[in-house]
Amino acid sequence: MPRLTSVESPGCPPLRAITTDVLGLVKVVEARARPAGVAKVVETWGEPDASRSILVASLADRAVDPVLAVARKNGVVELLNPLNGDALAAVKSSWPEQTDGAAGDDPLVALHLFKKQAPDSSTLGTFLACTDKGKACVRSVAKENTASDLDVGPSSTWDVCNAGKLQFSSVDAGENYAMFGGKGIEVNLWDITSCSKIWSAKCPRANSLGIFTRPWFTAGTFLCKDDHRKIVACTNNHQVRLYDTASQRRPVISVDFRESPIKAVVEDPDGHTIYIGTGTGDLASFDMRTGKLLGCYVGKCCGSIRSIVKHPELPLIASCGLDSYLRIWDTNTRQPLSAVYLKQHLTTVVIDSHFSAEESEETKSKLPESSMVAEATVRREKKKKNQLVEEDEEGSRMVKPDDNDAETVTRKEKKKKKNRMVADDEEGTRMVDPDDSDAKTVRKENKKKKSRMVSEDEEGTQMADPDDSYAEMYAPKRIKSGERSKGTKKKSKKQQVA
Amino acid sequence: MAGESRKRKQHTDEPSPGDDDERRGRRDKRPKEAAKPAPPLPSEIKNKEKRSEVYAKLKREKKAQKRKLGRERGQAAQRAAELGEEVPERQVPRTIENTREPDETVCRPDDQELFAGNDADEFNAVLKQQVTPKVLITTCRFNSGRGPAFIKELMEVIPDAQYVNRGTYDLKKIVEYANNRDFTSVMVVHTNRREPDALLIINLPDGPTAHFKLSKLILRKDIKNHGNPTSHKPELVLNNFTTRLGHRVGRMIQSLFPQDPNFRGRRVVTFHNQRDYIFFRHHRYVFEEKEIKVVSKDKKAKSSESKKQTEKQVTCRLQECGPRFTLKLITLQHGTFDTKSGEYEWVHKPDMDTSRRRFFL
Repeated sequence: MPRLTSVESPGCPPLRAITTDVLGLVKVVEARARPAGVAKVVETWGEPDASRSILVASLADRAVDPVLAVARKNGVVELLNPLNGDALAAVKSSWPEQTDGAAGDDPLVALHLFKKQAPDSSTLGTFLACTDKGKACVRSVAKENTASDLDVGPSSTWDVCNAGKLQFSSVDAGENYAMFGGKGIEVNLWDITSCSKIWSAKCPRANSLGIFTRPWFTAGTFLCKDDHRKIVACTNNHQVRLYDTASQRRPVISVDFRESPIKAVVEDPDGHTIYIGTGTGDLASFDMRTGKLLGCYVGKCCGSIRSIVKHPELPLIASCGLDSYLRIWDTNTRQPLSAVYLKQHLTTVVIDSHFSAEESEETKSKLPESSMVAEATVRREKKKKNQLVEEDEEGSRMVKPDDNDAETVTRKEKKKKKNRMVADDEEGTRMVDPDDSDAKTVRKENKKKKSRMVSEDEEGTQMADPDDSYAEMYAPKRIKSGERSKGTKKKSKKQQVA
Repeated sequence: MAGESRKRKQHTDEPSPGDDDERRGRRDKRPKEAAKPAPPLPSEIKNKEKRSEVYAKLKREKKAQKRKLGRERGQAAQRAAELGEEVPERQVPRTIENTREPDETVCRPDDQELFAGNDADEFNAVLKQQVTPKVLITTCRFNSGRGPAFIKELMEVIPDAQYVNRGTYDLKKIVEYANNRDFTSVMVVHTNRREPDALLIINLPDGPTAHFKLSKLILRKDIKNHGNPTSHKPELVLNNFTTRLGHRVGRMIQSLFPQDPNFRGRRVVTFHNQRDYIFFRHHRYVFEEKEIKVVSKDKKAKSSESKKQTEKQVTCRLQECGPRFTLKLITLQHGTFDTKSGEYEWVHKPDMDTSRRRFFL
C-alpha cells in the first residue's frame, strides 16, 4: 500500500483558539482567511514559569466582553481578557480554613466560568471551581478588586465528597446544574443555586464472573443543550456510559472503547454525538442514541489528549494534549485540517467563536467586505457569460445550415471547450462549499455534471449560488475561480467580435 | 535535491576523452550493423554460467569506471590546489539522515521556552547536581539466560546502581519502595525466552517512564580484545538527540549517570542516536606518545644521530569494554509506571510511519 509522505490538509476556516500549557503560558492560535487555512501562533501571554503552570482554563464565550479564567498551580484563579491578554483580576482560591501552603496538595481540577452575566454587571465574572479533594465553590469577582482579593463577592462552598479524588466537573448549558465525578466518586449531579445534591449514580452490576470494578470517572459532560438529565461519563477502564437521571441510577448505555483510559469528552450541539479522547492519543466520535462508534480521527496524534473543544457553529473540533500539538479536525470528514506545534504539554484549549466578527471590527472589515463584493461581481459576470454562451450557441446553430464552412465547425468546437471550462469553474465552487454532508457524493455529482449538456450548467450556478453562511470563509478560493472565469469571459468576448 | 542530481549528472557526463570516443564509435557502429541484434541483457541470457560471466564482466567495468572517475576528481582537486585555484566542492553522499523530512519539533538553540522547560522538568535536580543519581536495577519475574550477566555488566557501567531481586512484587510496589529509599531512577530489564529484549527506565519520584526495545545485545566476553572497565565515573556522550522528544529522552538517560565524570578514568559511555535507534557503546581510551622514526635520505646523518631523528607523536587508541546493545523507544509515559490508567506523552503508532525519512528522536 503506498503511503503518502504528507497528507494535503485542506486548511481550516477562520478560527481563534486559545491554549494553556504547563509552563503557564497562554498561546493564541489563529487561522485567517487570507493565507488560506494556515493556523499559527499569533500571541503568547505570560512568562514561562513552572510554578505558575496552568491546570485548567475556561472561557465565557460572549460577543461583548468575553473573559478567560485560568487556574494556576499555585492556587490562583486569574481572569484574563481573551482579546489582548490583560489580567483583569486574580483571586486566591484557597478556602478560608485553609492555609496558603495547602493549595499545593489540593490543586484545582476543574473550573467553569459562567457565561450568563449578573444583571447589574458590577462583577467581572462568576466561576465554579473544585479541588482534588472534592471541595467546590462558586465565586464572583467584582470589577473593582483588581489588586486585592479580600473583597471577593458572594461565594458558596460545599463538599462534593468525603473521600476519593475528584477528577472532573461539568456544568450544563443552562448553568443551573453541575456534575462531578472522580476516582472512587460516582457521578453525581448538584443544583448550583441551592448547593444540594439531586442525583447520584449507582455502580453497574458485577459481571458474570462476579468482578466488581470501583468507580473511577475521568471525564463527563451533559449530552443535550436543553436537557440536563442526560449525562455522558467516561471511566478509567475505557468505558463510555450514558446516564439518564430521569429514569434510573445505573447507566443506560455502556460502551467500551479500545484499551486506554478516556481523558476528555465533549458533546456536539446536535444533542447526540460526543467526541472522546484517550490516554494514548486516540480520538473518536460516538452516537449516544445507539452507543455506536461513528469513527476515529486518524492523524499522527501520538500523545494523551487532555482537552477537546467543539466549535459552536462550524463542523470543527480542536484537540490538544501531551504531544504538544493543537490539532483541528473536520467532524464531517474526520480529517485533520491543521496541526500547530506549541512546544509545551498543553492542558486546555478553548475556541473563541466570535472571532470572525471581531476580525472585521478590528481591521475595519476591509478585507472580508472587499472579497465579498468581488464574489458578488464574479457571480454576476458568470451569469451574464453563461447567457452569452447560450446565445452564441444558438447563433452558430442558426448560421450552420446557411454555409457549411469549416470555420464555423471549428468555432463550435472552441465553444464547446470553453463551455467545458465554465463547467469546471462551477465544479470548483461546488467543491469548495463545505455545507454538504458528504464530500464524496458531491464529487460524484460533479462527475455526472461533466457528462451533461451545457445548458444544464445554468442549474449548476443556481445550485452553487445560494449564499450559505460559509461563503465568507472560503473567499480566496472562490476568487481564484472567479479569475479563471474572467479569463473565459474575455475569450467569449473575442469570439463575439470575431 | 534537484540541483544535486544535476551536478551528479554533470560529473558523470564528463568522462575522459577516450571514453567519449568509445561512445561515438558505438554510435557510429550501430547504424552500420543494424542487422546484427544488440547484445542481450545479462538477465536475458538463459545459461547461468554465461549469464554470471557477463554480469561479472559488466560489474567489473562499472567498478573500474567509478574508480577512474574518482581518481580523476582527486587529481583535478589536487591540481587546482597546486595552482591556487578554487578547489571543486567535495561531493556529499545523500543518505537517509541528511535527507530527513523537515520537522518543526527540532530544538533550536535560540528557543527560550526550551530552556524554561528544561529548568522545570523532572531531571533538573539531578542534572544541576543538587541530587546524586541513584539507580535501582531489577528484572522481570523470570530472569535467566543472559539477563543476569547483562545486569552485572550494566551495574559496572552505571555507578551507584543497586540490584534488587524482583521476587513476585508488582512493579508499582517496587517503584514505591524505591521512592521511599530516595532512588532517582528504576531500571527494569525484561527478558523473553532467556534473552533480554526490553528495558524500562522509570524516573522517580514522578518522572516519565520510557519503554525501550532492546536488541543486538553483545556481552563483554563476546567482544574481541575487550577491556575491563574501572570503577571511575564515566564520561557520557549523547549524540543526535535533536527533537523535543529526543531531547527529553536524552536528558532522561543523562540523569542516570553522575554529572561529574572522573576524566582520569578515561572511560566513555556513548548513546548514539541514528534513525531513532539508540546505540550503546562503552569504551576506554588512551593517549599514547609514540616514537616514529623519520627516514632521512642522508646516510651519514642517519648513522651519526639516529636518536634525534625519532619524532614524538600522540596517538589515541580505543578499547571497547562491553556490553553493546541497541535501544529503540516504544513509548514514553507521563508519570511512573502505570499500564491501566497511564497517560502517554508519546506512543509509536503505525499511522505515523509515513516515510522512511521521518524520525522522532
